[in-house]
Amino acid sequence: MNTSVTSIKLVLLGEAAVGKSSIVLRFVSNDFAENKEPTIGAAFLTQRVTINEHTVKFEIWDTAGQERFASLAPMYYRNAQAALVVYDVTKPQSFIKARHWVKELHEQASKDIIIALVGNKIDMLQEGGERKVAREEGEKLAEEKGLLFFETSAKTGENVNDVFLGIGEKIPLKTAEEQNSASNERESNNQRVDLNAANDGTSANSACSC
Amino acid sequence: MSFFDSLRQKAPFLDKLADSFTPTLTRDEKFRLKYKLPANENILEDTNAEVSFATSIKDGKGHSDRVNNKGRKTAYVYSGRLFLTPHFLVFRDAFDHSSCVLILNISTIKRVERSPSESYEFALLVTLYTGAKVLIQFIGIRYRSEQFCDKLKLNLKENIPNAKTLPAFLETSYSEFLIAKNILGKKDITVPRAGLGQHFKYPGNPTMVKEKAKLRLWFDYFRENGRNLAVVQTPMFRKLIRIGVPNRMRGEIWELCSGAMYMRYANSGEYERILNENAGKTSQAIDEIEKDLKRSLPEYSAYQTEEGIQRLRNVLTAYSWKNPDVGYCQAMNIVVAGFLIFMSEEQAFWCLCNLCDIYVPGYYSKTMYGTLLDQRVFESFVEDRMPVLWEYILQHDIQLSVVSLPWFLSLFFTSMPLEYAVRIMDIFFMNGSITLFQVALAVLKINADDILQADDDGMFIAIIKHYFQTLGQSAHPDSSDIKYRQITKFQELLVTAFKEFSVISEEMAMHARHKYEKGIFQNIETFMKRTQLRHMPKTFNLSSDDLSNIYDMFYQSIETYKISMGTGSSNMGFEVFIQFLSKFCDSCRPCEKDKDPAFRKQKRNFLQRLFDNWDSAHIGELTLNDVVTGLDKLVTVDLLQAINYFFSLYDTDGDGELHREEVLQLSEGLLLLTEPWKSGRYVDLLTKKRIEDDIAENIIKESGGEIATMNQIELPTGVTIDEEKYKVEQAERYLKAASNFLQRSFEYAKAVDLAEEVNLIDLSDDEGEEKRTVKQKQLESIKANAALDPTHPKVIDLPTFRMIILADETYELFFSNTLRSSVHVDEHVNIDNKNKVLRSMFDGILADGKRVAEQVRRRVDSVATRSSIASVESTPTAAASSITTKEEKYDDLDDFTSEHQPENEELLQSSWFEIDDANETSTKAIQERSFEPLSANSSEEKSNLIEFEA
Ligand SMILES: Nc1nc2c(ncn2[C@@H]2O[C@H](COP(=O)(O)OP(=O)(O)O)[C@@H](O)[C@H]2O)c(=O)[nH]1
Ligand SMILES: [Mg+2]
Repeated sequence: MNTSVTSIKLVLLGEAAVGKSSIVLRFVSNDFAENKEPTIGAAFLTQRVTINEHTVKFEIWDTAGQERFASLAPMYYRNAQAALVVYDVTKPQSFIKARHWVKELHEQASKDIIIALVGNKIDMLQEGGERKVAREEGEKLAEEKGLLFFETSAKTGENVNDVFLGIGEKIPLKTAEEQNSASNERESNNQRVDLNAANDGTSANSACSC
Repeated sequence: MSFFDSLRQKAPFLDKLADSFTPTLTRDEKFRLKYKLPANENILEDTNAEVSFATSIKDGKGHSDRVNNKGRKTAYVYSGRLFLTPHFLVFRDAFDHSSCVLILNISTIKRVERSPSESYEFALLVTLYTGAKVLIQFIGIRYRSEQFCDKLKLNLKENIPNAKTLPAFLETSYSEFLIAKNILGKKDITVPRAGLGQHFKYPGNPTMVKEKAKLRLWFDYFRENGRNLAVVQTPMFRKLIRIGVPNRMRGEIWELCSGAMYMRYANSGEYERILNENAGKTSQAIDEIEKDLKRSLPEYSAYQTEEGIQRLRNVLTAYSWKNPDVGYCQAMNIVVAGFLIFMSEEQAFWCLCNLCDIYVPGYYSKTMYGTLLDQRVFESFVEDRMPVLWEYILQHDIQLSVVSLPWFLSLFFTSMPLEYAVRIMDIFFMNGSITLFQVALAVLKINADDILQADDDGMFIAIIKHYFQTLGQSAHPDSSDIKYRQITKFQELLVTAFKEFSVISEEMAMHARHKYEKGIFQNIETFMKRTQLRHMPKTFNLSSDDLSNIYDMFYQSIETYKISMGTGSSNMGFEVFIQFLSKFCDSCRPCEKDKDPAFRKQKRNFLQRLFDNWDSAHIGELTLNDVVTGLDKLVTVDLLQAINYFFSLYDTDGDGELHREEVLQLSEGLLLLTEPWKSGRYVDLLTKKRIEDDIAENIIKESGGEIATMNQIELPTGVTIDEEKYKVEQAERYLKAASNFLQRSFEYAKAVDLAEEVNLIDLSDDEGEEKRTVKQKQLESIKANAALDPTHPKVIDLPTFRMIILADETYELFFSNTLRSSVHVDEHVNIDNKNKVLRSMFDGILADGKRVAEQVRRRVDSVATRSSIASVESTPTAAASSITTKEEKYDDLDDFTSEHQPENEELLQSSWFEIDDANETSTKAIQERSFEPLSANSSEEKSNLIEFEA
């Protein structure tokens, strides 16, 4: 086993049908499919990549597309170290939604979460599709809010890996080690005072804490 | 209308109760829930009775009735309770309420006759369409039994039109087909149209699932115990379900157990109608459905064909029209795809209705509160039953819901291979949603050892996935005992779920739901609020706190909308709008003047104007965004904008000019808006300043002009102000402003021809109450006169309007401050308290000692030279007793805002009570009346042998 593996819990958020699941599929299996099962609740996938001779394991949470599932999202971005907020460059409404998710993450997720803003489906621009969200708009939002910014196509694969690599580079290895020791501490804590731990854990891990 | 809706209408204060997810059910509701009867099936009569059955089936030749040779069955006599509802006769045994349960739709009754009974005074012999007979022996007071019979008779008569639809309905029943084919010998009979499985094969291998043997068992059961709309459920019925319903029978059994069959029978044609009426329409739900059609059980061959897809589309869209509150939720596509393998579209449609209403309420709602709640309940069960596993899951930060959420939401349909998922569904429809918890717990329990090795979500998911894929394999492959080896994982799952976890009961789930619902609802509400506030239009004058406050008040006002459940319309109608504004706009609060019909009408006119102006989509309803945008304009800090906005309210054609009629309306609006100050309920800044000045002067006077530093200023304490005086002054100022406004409007109007200019009475001199009312009347007649002249068109444009407003100190202040600060968007208003009254206004002025002190100093600085101080008309007195008397008197006169508002609301609501009460008594009266002649008749009719014949 690789001794220095950094795990990154990453969550994808964004309006329905902007291509979240497709981006994940492209990243994890380098594939693209038109008809996939809809995501019920959330899907979980993992992918390992090597960044600067260090192995990073992405634990990816792909959230459901339909609007009403949004109230389940807090279950999944809880504890996330990174997030992709995805929009569709041909759908202005999806950019508004993206703004919302960025705010939501900044207010509700862990403080030092790393967020990448991703404008997807740029392949459609070559095929005569009309761009509705200017690159500059995305860049501006990213700059204002301190986000990484990418424009991608899950269909052609353009830029998809760069998104994840970008995030991997942003997460310092030190953090990973600290994290390990932190989680070790937590475990031993739990063993020591198990009564309290059970109680604390219940509320902290509540699937419904949204 | 649902029970809670009607309750809510009767008593809005019961809303809190209706908010609860687990309300206390009435007897009728419990009864309906238990037997899955449609919403209007209330218990009309119930009695103790003994019931026995005789099966009689016409033979192939169809000549005579022949008692089945298992006629000994009639020897079983069940004692229990019999219930009568409008369309059902329900019997359950007294022993365990499940040894013998008869659910009989009265359409199946052919004949009711009095039975010659030796041992019982009163017995009825009921003959069904099948020829089967039910002997009912009543226990209890004679006249009650008579009453029961009479009611039954009445129901049967009223039901005759329904009963005519029975034969057609029975043609859709597979059980009926089985009997007809095998007993009545009708070989040419066509198989009823059922699920896609008919043509596309049912899941699972027919020999492996012992389809034929199972069908035979059901055939025997139906022959002896009846079927579909007239069935006796015995422990055998449930046993047959537990061993797995044969595929051909499955649709009907699901339909029967879920009560969907009763819905389909009671609402025949409704499904078609919904589809036809909405053909070609589009909606968000339909768009979402379209996206998912190809992604619903795609591995089942029918869903790769247009036929399968079309059926799925029909059922999902029909439901989205039937229940727009839910519309379409992902996972419904999967569930319905599962249903449609075994059911016709219409069957699946009603099954979906009952699934959403009875089995898993809130799972698919707009907020999915039921899903969130049950996940929490599930976790609490895991914690309780498997503490070690739960501890491990917590420590490793494994997200349990990632696997369990789809189990509940898509009823295991995508989690397990179809042939197993449908077996779970068999039990689910029989036992209810608790089945999901039992199976879910069993899955974790069986895999606990493996899960305890998993150290992340990925491994956890993989373990579960692998388990479901190998359900058909031996649970104990390494056992030396062959019998043991033959037990499949699926069998093991059933045993664990329904034996070991049978202790997990519906009551436990309800209890847990009750415990967690508050937290869940709160979470949903804060999440919804956060989300919605982020999507607000940009505001210039409202802060984010204001917005949050407006959000709360907005939804508090719309009582029918349940944020956490996502049900009801979230838009605001005009009547609610009036109530809404009256909570925090001083000009819109209920007041004494509301008693004047003319004033009330003006108020409504103005509010209607405002409402229409805010109604951006012109739908006669306001969205939250409309309200926010509107309020933002109303409270603008920019004087000119405020004036412009008011002008634009009246310039409805937007040509920048107001015509005579519009000017008059505008002045009416101004009068209305300024009424609270005119009547002295509130004080504006000018009055406030006057008071401060007077106090300051008084202090200076009393100190004999010896104040040199701030520290020396003694603030007045316990001082009382001559309120009446300031009120009169203020009222006059406002009247004058109004009169000036009108005068100037017509003076400066373009195309002026004020030939018949009315003598405007000077309102400025100091006069008493009486004269003021006279003047008020004169003012109104001025208006009337000016309006009377249609021959000389006059218009006012915006600049003129602005000039006129700015020329008047009071109106200028009104637009720059008074109006804005009278709209209290910043205060959290609870529905039933807190209205600012004049008393507190004056108190506020006194309490604000610093400002007074500053006044004093300014005076000292500037007026120090002036030796003689203008006499202060009313000398403030410090007598405490005078304060109290004043207060009392004051309260009598003026405190109507706080005192009368609740009364007002009561008045508004009382009409509801009256109407409802009236209704209730009248229906009661009708019921009683209908009883009377019947019970009177029945004793005489005793000799009648045939009570009913269809
Ligand atoms: N042309 C194009 N289509 C895409 C791209 N990514 C996703 N799609 C399509 O967009 C639709 C929605 O994709 P999906 O991944 O399910 O979106 P999600 O709801 O955000 O998970 C599917 O039909 C995809 O095939 C892309 O980069 N280019
Ligand atoms: Mg997706």
